[in-house]
Amino acid sequence: MANQFEINQLVDHLFRHESGKMIAVLTRIFGSENLELAEDVVQDSLIEAIKQWEYKGIPDNPSGWLFRVAKNKAINIVNREKYKRQYSADATQWLQSEWTVEHALNFFFSEQEIIDDQLRMMFTCCHPSISSDSQVALTLKTLCGFSIAEIAKAFFTSEENINKRLVRARQKIRENHISFEVPNGKELENRLQVVLETIYLLFNEGYSASTGKDLIRYEICEEAIRLAEIIASHSAIQNKSTVYALLALMQLNASRFEARQDAEGNILTLEHQNRSLWNFKLMGKGFSNLEKFTADKEISIYHILATISAYHCSAANYQSTDWESILSLYNQLIQIDSSAVVLLNRAVALSKVSGPKIAILELEQLKNTQSIKTYHLFYSVLAEFHIQMLEFDKAADVLGTAIALAPLEAERSFLQRRLTYCREKVF
Amino acid sequence: MKDFLLIVKTEGDIWSDLSPEKLQKHLEHGTAYIGNLIKEGKLKNANPIDKGSRLITESNGIIKDGPFNESKEVVAGFFHVVAKDIEEAVEIAKSNPIFKDIPTKIEVHPLMAVQEA
Repeated sequence: MANQFEINQLVDHLFRHESGKMIAVLTRIFGSENLELAEDVVQDSLIEAIKQWEYKGIPDNPSGWLFRVAKNKAINIVNREKYKRQYSADATQWLQSEWTVEHALNFFFSEQEIIDDQLRMMFTCCHPSISSDSQVALTLKTLCGFSIAEIAKAFFTSEENINKRLVRARQKIRENHISFEVPNGKELENRLQVVLETIYLLFNEGYSASTGKDLIRYEICEEAIRLAEIIASHSAIQNKSTVYALLALMQLNASRFEARQDAEGNILTLEHQNRSLWNFKLMGKGFSNLEKFTADKEISIYHILATISAYHCSAANYQSTDWESILSLYNQLIQIDSSAVVLLNRAVALSKVSGPKIAILELEQLKNTQSIKTYHLFYSVLAEFHIQMLEFDKAADVLGTAIALAPLEAERSFLQRRLTYCREKVF
Repeated sequence: MKDFLLIVKTEGDIWSDLSPEKLQKHLEHGTAYIGNLIKEGKLKNANPIDKGSRLITESNGIIKDGPFNESKEVVAGFFHVVAKDIEEAVEIAKSNPIFKDIPTKIEVHPLMAVQEA
């Protein structure tokens, strides 16, 4: 009898790493209209694994074991339900013939096809007709092996809410007959941008002001990087410049993940991070991807953001950061994307180059923008500028607003410490 | 691209006439052949014919079930393939490893496609 704890751990691990592959292959077989069936088959296979392994022990090749169970379930479903269900894919016919069933399954579960199917799944989940909220949820569920509960936790929302998004996404796929394939030609260019946007959104969900210790959130970052790596190494994608840029951006940012909080879980700004905690191996990968795109002319927001991140990574310490170069990159960036959040980030660079007074004037122009009004970082950045100007009463004022808006406890306590500091200065 | 129906004809009960060793060899040959067609995207469907086929004939307006066992020739199965033209379909048929194991004929039929309106 295998140890229950050991089995659960193994199944959790397999679920995270193999379920995305299995769901992708099964969706190819059943057709994208039967996506949920593919998810159910994988879920059932894992439940069967737990039951069998408890009884008979863990097999030598657990992944191979799981794949075999999934294959058999696929054969049974296609043959049992062949008159009940509509399948769009040729594959289901192959599973109904003695001549082809074995070959077809060996082919579908071959290494290259598993990679191809994950790419197809990305394009299916990130179809432009699906809302971006739902795209992200569906990508996490189908490609990254996240449970509904985990997604809900990562998004600070209810399981019911996430389930609704998933149901809507699957419905769109069925209603719009979104096929399970990688588009080509001009459509590929456009659709790839949507896929990359979703991956970046996914990454930011994991990265944004997290509590750091939260394993799930770091795993989201890792998954976003893994998906981008599949795209970057795939021959179906010709023009990879933007992909390398996004990959570099995520790797460079993720390399600082561990250093973003102290032992007590308090958030540390870049200025106070212990740079020896940075993940230099990951950072190295980021720099190498950065080099792959600097040679060509195409400039996307990812190119600029990655280069900015690289300037932060390559500075020996906060004081020696090359703010002039970073500011000029932000000036380039606002030509492409002049959203309030970008302008807010630019203001930080501006304060380093031209002083906090000019930066405050910049922020004054932003304060009525809808997206910024409720964004706690706007107020915390503004407060820092006031502190630099020694205007502690004004700083305390905006810090109050920032605290009221900050979503995470770690952020609130960080801001609270700044507020206490300001009050001490005033009185 | 065009669709073709390849009808495989053999004599007698091929599956039970083969020795177990020969049957095993035959299946191995088939694996590579069918696997490749799937990989190249040329196979739409392929199926062996089960026992118990019937022949329906018409004579003087009377449709009847039979006659039975008129010829030794039996349809062993079919392949529905996609090919550039009949030449390619013929090449696909010729490379079928069944020729190595059993006396076989394969008919290659182009399927009529719906005319574009």
